[in-house]
Amino acid sequence: MGMGEPVWGPVHQDIVGLLADHPADVPAVVDHLTKLQDLLVRLPPLERSCPLADFNELYLTITTSVLNGLYDDRFADPVFLARLDVEFAARYFDALRYWTESSPATPRAWACLFRRMRGPDARPLPSAAAGVNAHINFDLPFALVTTFDSLESEPVDGTDQHRDYLEINQIFAERIPELRRGYLDNWQLMIDMLNGDIDDWYQGELVEYTRNVAWRNAQKIWRCRHDPEARECERVRLDDNAAALGRLLLSPLGAFLQ
Amino acid sequence: MASDVDLAPLVGRADHLATLRSALLDGVGPGQTAAVFVTGESGVGKTRLLREAGDRFRAGGALVLTGTCLDIGDSSPLHPLLQALRRFDAELTASHARTSSAVRGLLQMFAAETAGPDGAGALLERVSRGLHLVAQGRPLVLVLDDLQWVDRSTRQLLLYLLAGLGDLQLSVLAAVRAESLQGAHPLRRVLTELRRLRSVRVVDLAPLDRAGTEQLAAAVLGGPLGAEAAESLWQRSGGNPFVVEELARDLREGRDGLSETLREVFLARVDALPQAAHAVVHAVAAGVEPVAHWLLAEVTRLPEGELIEAVRAAVAHRLLVGDDDGYRLRHRLVAEVLAHELLPAERSALHRRYAEALTTAPAELHQARLAHHWRLAGEPARALPAAVAAAQEAERLHGYAEAHRHWSVALQLAGPPAAGVAPAGGGLTADRAELLRHAAEAAHHCGEHARALSLLEELADAEDAPPACALHIRRARYLAAAGRSAPAEAEYRRALAAADCTSRERATAAAHLAELLLHLGRYADAGDRAREALELAAQVEGSVSEVVLASMALGFSEAYLEDPDAGLAVMREALDTAERAGRPEDVACAYLHLAELLTGPLNILEEGVVVARRGAERVAELGLGRTYETRLLAIATNGLFRVGQWAEAEKVVAAALRHRPSGADAVELLLARCRLWVGYGDIAAADRDLEAVATVLAGGGARHVIPLLTLRAGLAMWQGRHDLARQAVQRGLTEVRSDDVGILAALVWHGLRAEAEAHAARASVDTTAVRRLREVAERVARKSEHAARPVRDVVDGFLALCEAEVSRLDGSDPQLWARSVTEWDRRHHPYPAAYSRLRQAEALLARRSRTATAGKLLREAYQVAQGLGAEPLSTEIRTLATRARVTLEERGASAEGRPVTGAEPSGDELTMLTAREREVLAAVAEGLTNKEIGQRLFISERTIGVHVSHIFDKLQVRTRVQASAIFLRNRPD
Repeated sequence: MGMGEPVWGPVHQDIVGLLADHPADVPAVVDHLTKLQDLLVRLPPLERSCPLADFNELYLTITTSVLNGLYDDRFADPVFLARLDVEFAARYFDALRYWTESSPATPRAWACLFRRMRGPDARPLPSAAAGVNAHINFDLPFALVTTFDSLESEPVDGTDQHRDYLEINQIFAERIPELRRGYLDNWQLMIDMLNGDIDDWYQGELVEYTRNVAWRNAQKIWRCRHDPEARECERVRLDDNAAALGRLLLSPLGAFLQ
Repeated sequence: MASDVDLAPLVGRADHLATLRSALLDGVGPGQTAAVFVTGESGVGKTRLLREAGDRFRAGGALVLTGTCLDIGDSSPLHPLLQALRRFDAELTASHARTSSAVRGLLQMFAAETAGPDGAGALLERVSRGLHLVAQGRPLVLVLDDLQWVDRSTRQLLLYLLAGLGDLQLSVLAAVRAESLQGAHPLRRVLTELRRLRSVRVVDLAPLDRAGTEQLAAAVLGGPLGAEAAESLWQRSGGNPFVVEELARDLREGRDGLSETLREVFLARVDALPQAAHAVVHAVAAGVEPVAHWLLAEVTRLPEGELIEAVRAAVAHRLLVGDDDGYRLRHRLVAEVLAHELLPAERSALHRRYAEALTTAPAELHQARLAHHWRLAGEPARALPAAVAAAQEAERLHGYAEAHRHWSVALQLAGPPAAGVAPAGGGLTADRAELLRHAAEAAHHCGEHARALSLLEELADAEDAPPACALHIRRARYLAAAGRSAPAEAEYRRALAAADCTSRERATAAAHLAELLLHLGRYADAGDRAREALELAAQVEGSVSEVVLASMALGFSEAYLEDPDAGLAVMREALDTAERAGRPEDVACAYLHLAELLTGPLNILEEGVVVARRGAERVAELGLGRTYETRLLAIATNGLFRVGQWAEAEKVVAAALRHRPSGADAVELLLARCRLWVGYGDIAAADRDLEAVATVLAGGGARHVIPLLTLRAGLAMWQGRHDLARQAVQRGLTEVRSDDVGILAALVWHGLRAEAEAHAARASVDTTAVRRLREVAERVARKSEHAARPVRDVVDGFLALCEAEVSRLDGSDPQLWARSVTEWDRRHHPYPAAYSRLRQAEALLARRSRTATAGKLLREAYQVAQGLGAEPLSTEIRTLATRARVTLEERGASAEGRPVTGAEPSGDELTMLTAREREVLAAVAEGLTNKEIGQRLFISERTIGVHVSHIFDKLQVRTRVQASAIFLRNRPD
């Protein structure tokens, strides 16, 4: 709105069409991410090196692993994990939709990555890292709360659901060597930075820790979920934190990751 | 009363209004439901659109009820509906006496509601009946604003009515603030599920475009804008109509230049208010909207004349709006601006005046508002009794979520446990344990398990805590409800070991522990505990509930351990015990467990159906029709379906649905009915039931998702939509626990059948899907190897089907199909057996071997399919028979294997008709319309239409007269 050129350039209509659909299950999410990947790599001027495509590819890899895990009976409570996966992805698609509409509602955590799409200084590693940051530090806690709420369950440590949730860390770990061989040479280093709170980003923790932060944040939101004001407060706090970390990853400082 | 000042025209929403009208009024047929959810940012014009649409619906002959959800979070259950009814009642004039008495009747029903078993479900039913009376045949439109603040009870009511369970033609138009859906709002998930349904739309209301912005500004200004002003307005408003209108008004009134932000606009207006008007807006801001005129007068203490003048000024400055029921701030922004303008002491003084005024005059949300105002007035001792009363009020209307929040507020007000010092209220310590007990129980009821448990911990530490055993039992109950079986088991064991445990408590704990162990599949342990519970209960007078529960656990565990007769005997005895003691719930539970035992693990279907139906009659006599009769009839329906008495099953399910059940009971019945429609090939009816189930499940209930997806796959296959069937099965495979082997096996069979059908139709086969399905089938086989016999029996039938379907991908193997026939015959399930016979015949014919056997199989299958009324299966059999030149009808043979009641004709020309079709034809010959026939046979008019068209097809006639002639010609006299 108000701008001359469509947000997604030549693939704008295709992306709008794709986002009009809301995938309802994990196979559909994988399908959606695959189609999105095909579109993103056609996005000028960077095409194959589009920073969002770097994140999307990584996300597709992880989600495909989750899907295979669901088919292979890897999780104790697949209902929970499948719902979580769908709800989690929905937030990424929502962010893309807001951005497509140039809406001020685009989470700032995401906006800092989306802005980079036109180049010129995009580097794959920090870009993928910024996406992971927005998705885990901002989207994941809310996805968890919505999932528990709809399943009439609760985020309690030590349950089947918590164990399944932690199992995803294992999937990350399994995929990391592969990713390291790919374009993400400093993957481990990047993950070290992703721990949710800007204050202790230098402490050098693992993705496990970040996902743990997301779980704790979900428990925190869970307790205040009936209080619209407190909930909104929490949302703004997480968006701010993730956005600050995202900007840092994408700043010249992030270049040392490359 | 002063109302709103000059309203700007509605700009840029003509298309939306047309969409709303066609989606919610013109496109909704009798008995159907529809909903539109309008989302958009604040100020984008949702409320305005709702009002305009409501006016048009009213003009179009609809009855429109309008309510607004409240953001005080701890309001009362069903508040928006009650508010809508009161508003509507106030608008009615003397000429609407009948409607008015219906509205008052419904309002009185709320006032008289008392807490009780299945109260929530029964309340939903009564609300829908009441709305029926109010609507008097007119289309009913429920308009709800600020749905982001909806209470849980209203949410459930909406889903119930939209699923068609209330049997009401209803449209819902609701507005949701887009911002609220971004975080973790419960509505988010509900809308994601609902937007997939054909009858539901989510409309995103976007800001105006540039042209619309200028049009609106010009309308406010009374003339076109200059280029510079237009650009500035566009930049600042972003097309948000509320902002456009307010900025344009400032322009019109000649304030120097445009204000930078809306906040500035409102600040300037507040500053310009006269003193009394200032007091008025602050008073409204501190109140719960709408603030009634009398209340505002009390709170501001202004004389009538001055008050009216002040209100007029506040309205003229566009800070306040007035309506018949009171005053509201014009916008949330006004509240935000005002929030920083008052000193805390001034604000608490306002709350005190509200509380004092309300104390003497009961009004809407009386106790909740009193508690709210006293609390903010800094008077916990006076807020506390109001909070307790509000909690009890919410429990009366089954709103446990709201009750829980009121109890929690009450606990806060009561203060921390006093260490020697009396808290603010004085003398409140004694009640603390009581408050904790109520708060924990309410939290448990509304699914806040963790909170319930932590409240229980506080209770355990409280001064006058209940005895240890009672606490252990309660904790175990909460843990079991949270699905945390291991700690629940430990708590029951602790209860049994506790020194202060009474015999009654010991019996209770043992019986519940037995039930828990049964669910965990530990049958031997469950049996031991159940025996222990029965011994304990025998020593305690009146512990019939414990006897029934323990007998159930023992009965099932014996059945799984392959001593069916012993288990059955125990359960029958429990029924006798319950009947002798005479408490209705015990009798009902005993019937329910006995019927479940027979139709479940024992697979003694005919007897199970008889027990279920007899039990249904009995519990109806005992006054438990809505709850237990419905559940027993669901068991009967499923049993009748499996033994192949579909016409009977259809009658039973219709009778059960007349109770307008809700929640899981409703889902169970809708799925049972849908299974019949899929078998009959009534696609429209099956689709409708699947949508209804999906609507109810949008409010929660993952347990029923797999049966829903399995039916969806089955239906898609009859329509030749292998792709849709494949999708449904794939989704199911990723959302099912691998230990649910029974439903998993059925799902896998549907998946493999979809691929085989695709192969047969020369469509592409998904080889990855086939590989995965075969892996899952192998896993199911592995897991069920160690399962109890009854579980294995169910699984083996489906696994036989799976293996045979796989062979269809590569030259169908008649031997495998023969095995499947044997499996299903052994279990007396004629439908899958007939399907397997068809496939066996097909495989034999494809190999050009034993064509005589194939013919015999086809005739057997056909006879069963015809008897059931399984139209799609019959059609497939006929197609194959025609191709293979097999004669299906033996001369003079009549359809066997289904009940043909005495009065029915059985002449030659009518042998192709099913029992149900003959009943319909008899009624057609009497000259009844489809509607009348539907009423007589308890099935829908549309289904009668389907039956009639099948009858025409089979008799090869084209009119009712011709069909009647054949019927009369063949009537035995």
